[in-house]
Amino acid sequence: MLSFITRKLLYGFLVLFGVVILVFFLFQGFGDPARLVIGQTGDSATIQNIRKELALDQPKWKQFVLYLNDVSPISFYSADDIQALGIEGLQIGSDSKLVIKFPYLRRSYQSRRAVSDILLEALPGTLTLALSAMLFATVIGVLLGVLAAVKQNTWMDSSAVFASVLGISAPSFFMGIVIAYLFGFVLSAYTGLHMTGSLFAYDAFEGRQLQLQNLILPAITLGIRPLAIITQLTRSAMLDVLGQDYIRTAYAKGLRKSAVIFKHALRNALNPVVTAITGWFAELLAGAFFVEYIFGWKGIGKITVDALERLDFPVVMGSVLLTASFFVLVNLLADVFYGIIDPRARIF
Amino acid sequence: MVGESGSGKSVTALAVLQLLPSPPAQYASGEIIFSNKGKPCDLLTVSKDELQQLRGNAIAMVFQEPMTSLNPVHSCGKQVAEAILTHSDMSKEAAFKKTITLFEDVKLPNPQKMFHKHPHEISGGQKQRVMIAMAMSCNPQLLICDEPTTALDVTVQKNILGLIRNLQQAHEMGVIFISHDLALVSEIADKVVVMYKGQIVEQGTTTAVLASPQHPYTKALLACRPALHQKGQRLPVLSDFINDTARPMTTIVTEKQTGTDDNNRTEKIISVNELSVWYPSKKNLFGKTLDYQKAVNNVSFDIYKGETLGLVGESGCGKTTLGRTLLGLVPPTKGDIRFNGKNMATATRHETIAMRRQMQIIFQDPYSSLNPNKKIGDAIAEPLKVHGIISNAAQRRDKVVELLEKVKLTADHYHRYPHEFSGGQRQRIVIARALALQPSFVVCDESVSALDVSVQAQVLNLLNDLKKDFQFTALFISHDLSVIRYISDRIMVMHKGMIVEAGNSEDVYTHPKTAYTKELIAAIPGKAFGSTL
Repeated sequence: MLSFITRKLLYGFLVLFGVVILVFFLFQGFGDPARLVIGQTGDSATIQNIRKELALDQPKWKQFVLYLNDVSPISFYSADDIQALGIEGLQIGSDSKLVIKFPYLRRSYQSRRAVSDILLEALPGTLTLALSAMLFATVIGVLLGVLAAVKQNTWMDSSAVFASVLGISAPSFFMGIVIAYLFGFVLSAYTGLHMTGSLFAYDAFEGRQLQLQNLILPAITLGIRPLAIITQLTRSAMLDVLGQDYIRTAYAKGLRKSAVIFKHALRNALNPVVTAITGWFAELLAGAFFVEYIFGWKGIGKITVDALERLDFPVVMGSVLLTASFFVLVNLLADVFYGIIDPRARIF
Repeated sequence: MVGESGSGKSVTALAVLQLLPSPPAQYASGEIIFSNKGKPCDLLTVSKDELQQLRGNAIAMVFQEPMTSLNPVHSCGKQVAEAILTHSDMSKEAAFKKTITLFEDVKLPNPQKMFHKHPHEISGGQKQRVMIAMAMSCNPQLLICDEPTTALDVTVQKNILGLIRNLQQAHEMGVIFISHDLALVSEIADKVVVMYKGQIVEQGTTTAVLASPQHPYTKALLACRPALHQKGQRLPVLSDFINDTARPMTTIVTEKQTGTDDNNRTEKIISVNELSVWYPSKKNLFGKTLDYQKAVNNVSFDIYKGETLGLVGESGCGKTTLGRTLLGLVPPTKGDIRFNGKNMATATRHETIAMRRQMQIIFQDPYSSLNPNKKIGDAIAEPLKVHGIISNAAQRRDKVVELLEKVKLTADHYHRYPHEFSGGQRQRIVIARALALQPSFVVCDESVSALDVSVQAQVLNLLNDLKKDFQFTALFISHDLSVIRYISDRIMVMHKGMIVEAGNSEDVYTHPKTAYTKELIAAIPGKAFGSTL
């Protein structure tokens, strides 16, 4: 188990290294970021200063090594750099130091804030939204799928399938608007929900406050598509499993139907569903721009798109790296899940 | 209960516990009376709850496929304990303890460890023992065994039969034992019911039915077993008894096949030298192989032109891997294979394609070795097309029809799909496909193992006829020594990746040298009654 996770993590680091290369050459490899920082109006002296500050006067390969040094958790810095960049972490050595730190993602061109701060601020919103959307989609989706499979060829089956086809075909920006308008505006008096709102509200007197009710509508909107897909996958996997010999064995033991379905059939049907769930989850962790935009939810997606619009490359690069790390982690998680669910898939 | 597949014996057994999915199944008429501790009840009319009470408790069942009948995601012990917990108010610990005692009763090795093992970690025979332990867990009054040993090796089959018999006597329970093999049933049953096309055609005590079978179907079942016949004799088939009653049985049995000349076979078609095929079984952190599963371990032998070489051994002994390696489907780890004197490993691409044309395989499972989306005619025509033998579509069609007729099918079958055929017919289609290229070497990998005894006789006859016709050399792989003895000139016995014995088939069969071969021969069911017939 441990060696399996270690190996997977090693692969994960390789993947991330590839992403770093790609990201660097896409956003820093060409063009002159200094111009982006200062805009159209800067005089040449300012530009030169910025170039120096961002090490843009160095050759490209050196820029890349510096960037790698910045994002790597283990890196080397001179004492001055540590001061200048505000790097924290375990420092070893006196003048030129070996530093073990949280990856330094540099600073935004526009706001000059540290990218990690910007991302960390949005992360709780994205995490809670993705988690709750997937929780909603998984619980309802699996239940609907099981129901549809067990009651195959009845009205329950066909309506579940119909609803899921509807869910798959409805784009989130459309569903988002419909749901926000319907439940956050028309029926607001009954639901007590608002069209927009983030995870935290900032009150002049009491400071930051958790606003969990704001989560409901965006989570549902975001969960509809994965829900539809999970329903369909669960249904087809369950139908396959219900025809297996061991289901007959379970019935022959004298088990109740519910025990057969949930204890014997469902667990065997879960593997394709887990693939879908983890895939979607990782994707939602990259942020969901439309939903965040419509509901005014503060999350990674909106920050990334905004940064792209302003050509604020460090933020974009940071969020790409963050998303890639999520993908690697979630995939590792999925592999572990496969093994837990199905002992035959245990490769560790 | 004896009958061929599709005769309705499994359906009858499943109906007892109402395990047939309904719909589509309908119980049109009749009743199933079960005497539950002296209290008779009709199983077709009892309520759902009562039925659940009976299932696994008063009536238990062991199924045919041990590989698929256990849930792969739960440990063996849990699955057995579940049955106990369902029907008693025992505590979990007590149920676990009882499971381990049951595992001891069914002679599973290391019951404590076996409890935590998952089905994929144990052998087929062990799985069937777990199934029997599960069935026995609530001391049932009736045990239904639906072909419990069909998927198992003969040696394992013998042990399982013994186990069922012992349990039956110890617990004084009734057993319904279903099989397509009358000989097998004769070893275990007191009373025999013969089913044919959904009806009971004969029933009586085992000795009475075996000694004087009345129905032609029963007679055919008894006569068509290859164990009773000399090599080269045409096996009697079902139609000899059922349609063609005018032909007396004796002439059919003694009709000797000509053209099997055993003399001076010296030309080697295949020569195998110190061949090993290993699969990595354990790898370290960096993917370096630490340990190997030695499927084929250092074997050397020759196959002479025109002969049929039988390869026998239990499942997992490496015989299938060996067959596939000969065809170049599995790369050898060590050693070399020479086909007509040419080393296969060093052959050029062009030469390899030419060799492939000369070598064909007939697989075990006729159900999965035909593409369900392809018309059988096209499936047979495909190799002709791939190797560019007949480029004209019309001529190819004629050739396919000719092949179909050779395997006793008709031109009408050309445009049909595999699911429209029975198992025996499919196997004949697979044979036609293999023979389309007129190969000089054919590997028959358990080609008749999935078939009923009666259908098996037809296919064996066909293979004998075709061999005479097409003059090919064959490697016949099977776990059934009686089939191997019937069809082969020479026999090789394989055990744990190595060849333990080889020789002329009659010599090996009648005077086995190694203990393993003796064990295999002793395990052939129905030897006792076969010799008296």
